[in-house]
This record gives sequence, C-alpha cells and structure tokens, in this order.
Amino acid sequence: MNRKVSKFLKDYRVILLIVLVAASITAISTMGIQQGLDLQGGSLIQIQLERPVDAATMNTVTSVLDKRLNIFGVKDVKVRASGDQNVIVEIAGVQPDQVADIVGKPGKFEAKIGNETVLTGTDIVSVQPPIITGNEWEVPFRLSTDGARKFAEAARGKAGEPVKMYLDDRLITAPEISAEVATGKPVTDVRITGAENSKAEAEVQAKEIETLLKSGSLPVKVKIVGVSSVSPELGKQFAEGAVIAGLLAVLAIAVILIVRYRSPILVLPIFFTTLAELLLILGAAAVIRWNIDLAAIAGILAAIGTGVDDQIIITDEVLSGEGRRTRRKFRIKDAFFIIFASAGTLIAAMLPLAYIGFSRGATGIGLLAGFAFTTVLGVIIGVFITRPVYARFIETFNVAGRK
Amino acid sequence: MGETLKVIVLIDRILKSYRPLIAIPAAITVIALLLVVFNGLNESVDLKGGALAELTLEKSVTQAELESLLREKLGTGDIKVLSIRGERVTVQFGTDMDVVKVSEALRGTATINSYKAVGPVLSKQAMNQIYWAIGFAFLFMSVTVFIIFRDPVPSLAVILAAASDIIIAVGGMSLFGIPLSLASVGAILMLIGYSVDTDILLTTRVLKRRKGTINERALGAMKTGVTMSIAAIASMAALYLVTVFVMPEARVLSDIAAVLIIGLLADILTTWLMNLGILRWYLEVRS
Repeated sequence: MNRKVSKFLKDYRVILLIVLVAASITAISTMGIQQGLDLQGGSLIQIQLERPVDAATMNTVTSVLDKRLNIFGVKDVKVRASGDQNVIVEIAGVQPDQVADIVGKPGKFEAKIGNETVLTGTDIVSVQPPIITGNEWEVPFRLSTDGARKFAEAARGKAGEPVKMYLDDRLITAPEISAEVATGKPVTDVRITGAENSKAEAEVQAKEIETLLKSGSLPVKVKIVGVSSVSPELGKQFAEGAVIAGLLAVLAIAVILIVRYRSPILVLPIFFTTLAELLLILGAAAVIRWNIDLAAIAGILAAIGTGVDDQIIITDEVLSGEGRRTRRKFRIKDAFFIIFASAGTLIAAMLPLAYIGFSRGATGIGLLAGFAFTTVLGVIIGVFITRPVYARFIETFNVAGRK
Repeated sequence: MGETLKVIVLIDRILKSYRPLIAIPAAITVIALLLVVFNGLNESVDLKGGALAELTLEKSVTQAELESLLREKLGTGDIKVLSIRGERVTVQFGTDMDVVKVSEALRGTATINSYKAVGPVLSKQAMNQIYWAIGFAFLFMSVTVFIIFRDPVPSLAVILAAASDIIIAVGGMSLFGIPLSLASVGAILMLIGYSVDTDILLTTRVLKRRKGTINERALGAMKTGVTMSIAAIASMAALYLVTVFVMPEARVLSDIAAVLIIGLLADILTTWLMNLGILRWYLEVRS
C-alpha cells in the first residue's frame, strides 16, 4: 500500500495538481475573488451613444462620465467602452436611481466671476488636447462668439480675480484672470494655464481641466438603454444561496454515487476532485481578476457537473476492466476518448457565446459571456488537470475494483 | 441481485424491439414543437424590453393597491405585479421605465432591491445575438461530433438526439411558462454540451468496443449514462429548490436549473431510445 501511495504521489500529474491547488489557495487568499455586481450589490448601466464614434471621442465620453460620477462621491466606478457605440458603467454598492440620475442628465458646467455666471457648457465649442511643457500645462479651448463677448465683459478690469469653475454645482478649480483677458476684448480662442511640481502632476491637472471643460457638452448625445442593479443585501443573499445550492448539489450527487457503487470510499476521491476543480477555477479567476457573478457561478456548476460525469465514466470503464493492469490502462484511454470528445463539444457550443461577449462587451447577450467563459475554463482545467489525477488514483488504488 | 437481473431482462426485451421505440422521443419532440408553435414562449425583460423591479415593502399593500399606485404616479397602464411574497414584491413594467421615476413613485411604500430595465435597442440586439449564438453553437457542436466519429450515420444520430433535447426543453419552457431569457438561453447552450455527453458515451462504447454483443455494450453504456444523467438532474434539482424557496430573486439560476432538468430528462429518452435505436438499425443494415 505504501509503495502505491508513494508511486501515486510521484506521478507528475499528481504533483502538478497539488502545486496548482496550493497556488490557487494562495491566490484566492492573497488576491481575493472579485465578486460581480449581482453578488456584492451595485448597478450596471448600459449607455448608448447617438451614433458610432471614433476612439478619441469615445475616450472623451468615458472620461467625462467617470469624472462626473467621481465628483458625486461615487466610489468604485468603472466606466468602459463596449464597441464603438456603447458605454458600460459599473458601480458597486450604490442605489440605481442615484446613478441613473447622474448619467441620465448632461453635466452642468458653469464658470463664475464673483457671483455672476459668465460661461456655461453650451458656450464651449471645442477643447484642444492639453499642452505640457516641463511642469507647466495649458488647455486651449474655443468659445462661441456669444460666450466670448459675455466673458470679456464680465472679466474687464478684473485681472487677478479667480474664475470659479463648477461641475454639477461643485467647485473644481479657480484659475485667475490674466491681464490680457481683462482688457475686455472678446477672444474666442482662450486657454487655462498652470504650473505644478512635476511633469506627471501637470499632466494629471491638465487632463482634469480638459475633462471638466468637455463635461458640459458631450460630443454626442447619450441615452441610458439598460439598467440593472442589485442591492447589497440581496447580493449577499445570492452569494449565500449559491453556496447552499452548491453544497446540496454535492450532497445529492454523493448519495447517488453511494447508492450506485455501494462503496462510500469511492465518494471521497470524487469529492476531492470536485473540490480541487472548484479551487482551481476560483484560483484562476483570482489571478486573472475575473468577476464571479451569478452567471459565472452557473458556469462553475456546469463545469463541475461535467467533472462528475467524467469521473463516473472513468470509474465505470475501470470497473469493467477485469482487473488486469494493461486492460485497465486501455480502459482509461477509452474513457478519456469519451471525456475529450464531450469536452470538445461543450467548448464548441460555448464558443459563440464567449465570442459575442468579448467582441461586443457586456451589452445584450454578452452578459452571458461570463457564463460561457467560466464553463470553458472549468472544463479545460478539468480534462487536463484534475480528471487525469482521478483516473490515476482509481488505476493505482483500485478503489472501485470490487471484481 | 434477482431484481437487477429482472430489470436487465426487461431492458433486453425492450432493446430487441428497438425500432418502434424510436417513435417515443420522436413523438415527444413533435409535441414539443407544436407546443412552441401554438402556445408560444414568454419572453423575459432581457429580450422584449421593459423593466423588472424587485421591491421590499415598507408598509402592507395589496396587489391591486400597488398596481393602481404605480399606474397613477407613472402615468402608464402597462404595469403588472408578478408576485407578492411577504414583503417581497416583483413588478414588471412594459416599457423601460426610468428607475429614478419608479423610485420616486414608490417613496414611502417600498424600496428597490434590484432593478433591471432594457430598452428596445438593447432587446432587439439581444434577440439577434441569441439566434446567432444558438445557431453557431449547434453548428460547432455538429462539426465536432463529425470530427470525432468520422462516420455520417452515427454522427447524425448524435446530432438528431441533441436537436430533440433542445426542442423538448424549449417545449417544456412553453408548457411551464419559463420565459426565454438570457439565462434560459445559457441553459440551452449548456444542454447542447451536456446531452451530447451521453450520446458520445453510447456511440463510443457500441462502435469501438470489441467485447460482448451490441446489447451488452449498450447496456453497459446505459448504466454509466443513466448514472450521469441522474447525478446531473439531482444537482440541478438541488439548485432549483434552493433558488425557488430561499432566493426567488435569483431567477437566473432557477431558470437555468429548470430548463436543464427538462432537457436532461428528455436526454435519457433521446439517447437510449432514439440514438441507440438508430445506431442498432445502422449496424444491422451494415452487417
């Protein structure tokens, strides 16, 4: 028996599995598992632009939205483009109505001198990319002729006074009026300049001002086309429910296997293989920062389900192998033909869904891409790493070999 | 042991007259197809557009009161309270209601736990993507099966069985009112993968093994395959029961479980009556 144990432990597949399980546990405990919005609570808002835009415009749209949400004190905002016409905003732990309120309305930009509003978002025609020279920065922008006239009148003789710039009624910055602007002559091409302590800081500041100026008038109209949100309490219930369901599923499978094989010992390796698969999937998710949401949980269940199927196939092939070593080896080869063929068809069936998800982002059915990806990941881990070890175990210890 | 023997004898007898048995899953498939055509499928908010809100009531109201309150404050008639369980309520809106307005309308009456709104643009997009996803999934699966067996008749038998499973599962959705949603489409794709497992097992055992008669090989495969199916059905039943009774809001999971249970039950019939039947017929004709 001891010889068998040491032989089993020296098998490269067994060593690989042990190493990977240890690595997964380390990854899960140090990096943690990112939970999807439906488990931790939060909102996902899908925004559609009026028309498809180029990358630069898209960048403006996402940075403006990001900026505005940050100003409102919304933490943990993720704003990302999905294709050339859609933007997805993900926010953790916020009530949906608050977010929809912010995103649904255009940003309100105002510049005030004293208490008088001199510019609004509609007065800004265009904003040029910032120019950085050493520690100094400048953001050139163009005003409408109307806006330029209004501004010039208000600024006349007020050199050195601040122009207070507000976004959504919050003060963001207050550059001083230069002598040249204070002459009262209307200019449409103006700039805000400043100096920071380092080049990096200058870049950050300039970007901030650029975004601020653009926020009042997005280059395209945006519309909320979909909202999906889950409160943190409900999310917690989902997570707990999924764990309960998983445990019950394992229990149900265990009962069936015990009844079928009349060998409680056999349940142990199946249980450990299943556990190892779960750990490896979660470990991989932790490493690649993959979000675990309800769809991903369904994918994990699907992958582990095929794992149990495969273990039943292996066990039965070995059982009918009549005990002779060569015969048993042959059987396991047969079993793996079936296992790889099944895995191949499942992956083939999931690929279109995964493709839609990655190419289109999380709009429409793309939300299910997480499910497809997790299933494929789990099946690949299963057929290459965990299930061969199970086969090796059955082969070595002949647990199922009552005949 | 005597009982097992009896069962084996019974199955053996059934297997001998396999040809009429092919008709059973075939008939169920046709019935399912008719059900889908005439009874239709519900579409979830994901696909037809609209909004779905899960609420927690702050004070006790009846279904009618809540509906009329929302109708009055939101100025639209297309509002339906789907369920009230204690203080938890599910409301469906016909249009993609602005969540801000809904939460204002509910102020003092209920709070929103989860909210999902899908506009017409998105729902149309999703519907298109679903057809593509299912179509390509089935195509890729078929190609893979052909590559595996390199023999047209057994491959077609597997593909036919998988198609029947899907049709029966969709028929079951129509019968039990499970809506076509992103979740149930996920389940259908999962079913494509799952149902083919047992068919591949059967075909491999019957065609590639040399030991025993065809009947013996088929019986062995059946023992393995039915254990697989029952294990999968049991785990899905666990998932279904937990989601329905503990967290009714996790409809994603209960829909997936329900569709898979129907599909896996259908798979037992299609694999062991239809696929096996065609396979035996083929082997008989060939020899």
